[in-house]
Amino acid sequence: MDNGIPTRRLIIGLIALIVAANLLNAVAQPSSGRVDSSAPRWSVQVAQIDPASVNIDPSFLAAIYESSLAEIGKTNQFNHLFRDGDRTARNVPNLLVLKTTVEKFVPGSETQRAVTTVSGATKLTVRIQLCTRKGQVVLERTVTGNVRFMGSNLKATHNLARNVAKTIKNSSLPTPASPQAQGGQL
Amino acid sequence: MASPMLHQIAFFSKRRFLGGLKCMIVLSLAAADGRTVGCDLNVCVRARHLLGFVDAKQNATGTLTVQNGKLQFSPNGKAAVSVPVDSIRDIFAGTQSRQIGGLPMTLGKAAVPYGGGRAISLFSKKQYDTLTLSYVDPDGGVHEAIFQLNKGQAENLRRQLVASGAHVSHDTIVDWQPGTIGDEEWTTVYQPAG
Repeated sequence: MDNGIPTRRLIIGLIALIVAANLLNAVAQPSSGRVDSSAPRWSVQVAQIDPASVNIDPSFLAAIYESSLAEIGKTNQFNHLFRDGDRTARNVPNLLVLKTTVEKFVPGSETQRAVTTVSGATKLTVRIQLCTRKGQVVLERTVTGNVRFMGSNLKATHNLARNVAKTIKNSSLPTPASPQAQGGQL
Repeated sequence: MASPMLHQIAFFSKRRFLGGLKCMIVLSLAAADGRTVGCDLNVCVRARHLLGFVDAKQNATGTLTVQNGKLQFSPNGKAAVSVPVDSIRDIFAGTQSRQIGGLPMTLGKAAVPYGGGRAISLFSKKQYDTLTLSYVDPDGGVHEAIFQLNKGQAENLRRQLVASGAHVSHDTIVDWQPGTIGDEEWTTVYQPAG
């Protein structure tokens, strides 16, 4: 009977502690994570995936393109995100174009992965380039995406897109010109 | 006294049971065929949306129909979404295979002793068709969508879409050959338009 009150106090104390920790985290976030909203930011247009000379199923190219758009959008790093061919991107200042070229593709097998565990991995390697309108490359990286154990083969494209977004986010892009200074030059 | 009544109940239960059985057989045959019951359109197939089609949710199952110049996906219990057929710029039909049962099956197989789950994996696979579409929105932005269909349906749907006015630019296609691992799982067929 008497145990009820201390237990209740303990639970209330724990909840208060969790709420306080969350509040502290929320207060600390803006200073470390967010970018100054007044500073000019890049916009990005994702170009369709170039298979180059690699034999790759078109569904993989489609999945890389769509997953890249989704994952880059999640980072909130860019002012606007445009699809390939979008006419509204023409007059946007500070536009970067993300070009993705497939370098290597190893078609795995979900059954082989399930049976052997160690073989049958689907592996994708791409080269990404962030270019300005003038064609100046501001970022160039090689990114990989694999599915080794569980999941369908298309999951490799999702992993790849996540790595692409992470790579771009962790890279230091040059500061875009301010709207007054550039006058639509980039 | 009660035996005729019991007999009557048993008779009705038997009729209900047989009726239910007939319904189940009809429904299962319709599902196996991949067509919606009562669907009187040119093309109407069961499909799973993998990604990219307008605002449809990923992995939603529903029906894919071509009607009135539109390709429409109607997820089960949700509002239908569609794109004009003439906005489609490319269509690819392919074949892949995957393990059935998802995560529960995977966990179940892992629980089978002496590696028996691995043996089950050899037989718990299913082949399916993929239909990859490339279409443009009113602003000219390129969208790509992938649908998973029952085996043998993607090519029919592709032909129907081409007949309805969808564009196909096969100049850009790499002549994709089966992969080095598991040939049966990785065959993508490209045929000329029409």
